[in-house]
Amino acid sequence: MNTLRLILFHTARLVLGGTFLYAGILKGEDPVVFAGQVANYQLLPYAWNYLVAAILPSLEVLCGLLLLLNRWVRPGTLILGLLNLVFMAALVSLIVRGIDIDCGCFRPDAEVKTSPLSALIRDLGLMVLVLMTWVLDRRKNREERT
Amino acid sequence: MSEPASASQPALRRLLLEAVVICAVAMAVGLTMNFNMVMNAFTGKTVAAPPSKTALGTVAEFPDPVELDEVHELIAAGALLVDARHVEDYREAHLQGAVSLPLGEVDQRLDAFRSEVPAERIIIIYCNGFGCPDSFDLGVILLARGFQQVRVFEGGFPEWRDAGLPLEGAAQ
Repeated sequence: MNTLRLILFHTARLVLGGTFLYAGILKGEDPVVFAGQVANYQLLPYAWNYLVAAILPSLEVLCGLLLLLNRWVRPGTLILGLLNLVFMAALVSLIVRGIDIDCGCFRPDAEVKTSPLSALIRDLGLMVLVLMTWVLDRRKNREERT
Repeated sequence: MSEPASASQPALRRLLLEAVVICAVAMAVGLTMNFNMVMNAFTGKTVAAPPSKTALGTVAEFPDPVELDEVHELIAAGALLVDARHVEDYREAHLQGAVSLPLGEVDQRLDAFRSEVPAERIIIIYCNGFGCPDSFDLGVILLARGFQQVRVFEGGFPEWRDAGLPLEGAAQ
């Protein structure tokens, strides 16, 4: 693997891991407020919003840490990619239903609201990082094996 | 060329196994750290607004949340709907039969409210849905001032409207 690809891989891995670690820590600080934000999406039955608020932050923190530590990068990236897909589907459903709420992506009590559309664009960017990490990691592994 | 199937299958299995382990660890950590919150939610004890937002400090009594189905039953049983939003919002549109008691004007209006509403009447407070703490805060105040059956409809105005239920007000 040439140097440029290696730099790209590690950059994508670190930015992706750092972003989700940061997002997970902020959400995990006040799970009750975060549950309210999940409820704002009006997708889940009442109590399930709290279940998501309990588990999602630790999943984001764990995957983010693994990526930062360069351990279990493939499963971590896979989970973050799937999470990102779910987030994007939820955001699209907001736009389709015309619900204008804060996305609740990072700080639960954000003073500056992030609209569903801008959150969706940001998630597209994260998806590029997911794909970069995934593809470059596979190439790296294959070359290391041969 | 891609790897032969015999070589990629164990790799795929390992990848999925590792992903499952990560999810299991995250679930265990998340549920352990937030055990009470999740249990309360599934037994119907939690409300979305954090108690720390109330101005009354150590008051231990919090209003119970109700969902839309139960709101109908309670109204049929004589419950009073109370709108905790600003007066302008109330004038524009409110749940059919609701009275206005904005959180911001509770000091001026509470005496009049008490003279009209018996303390034992079931009161269901709402505001602008899950992100809005006003109904919860108003509920804490009403409980502290002697009302006995105070509930909070967390879905509030948006859930009622989106369910196509009747509204009243200037915009209707």
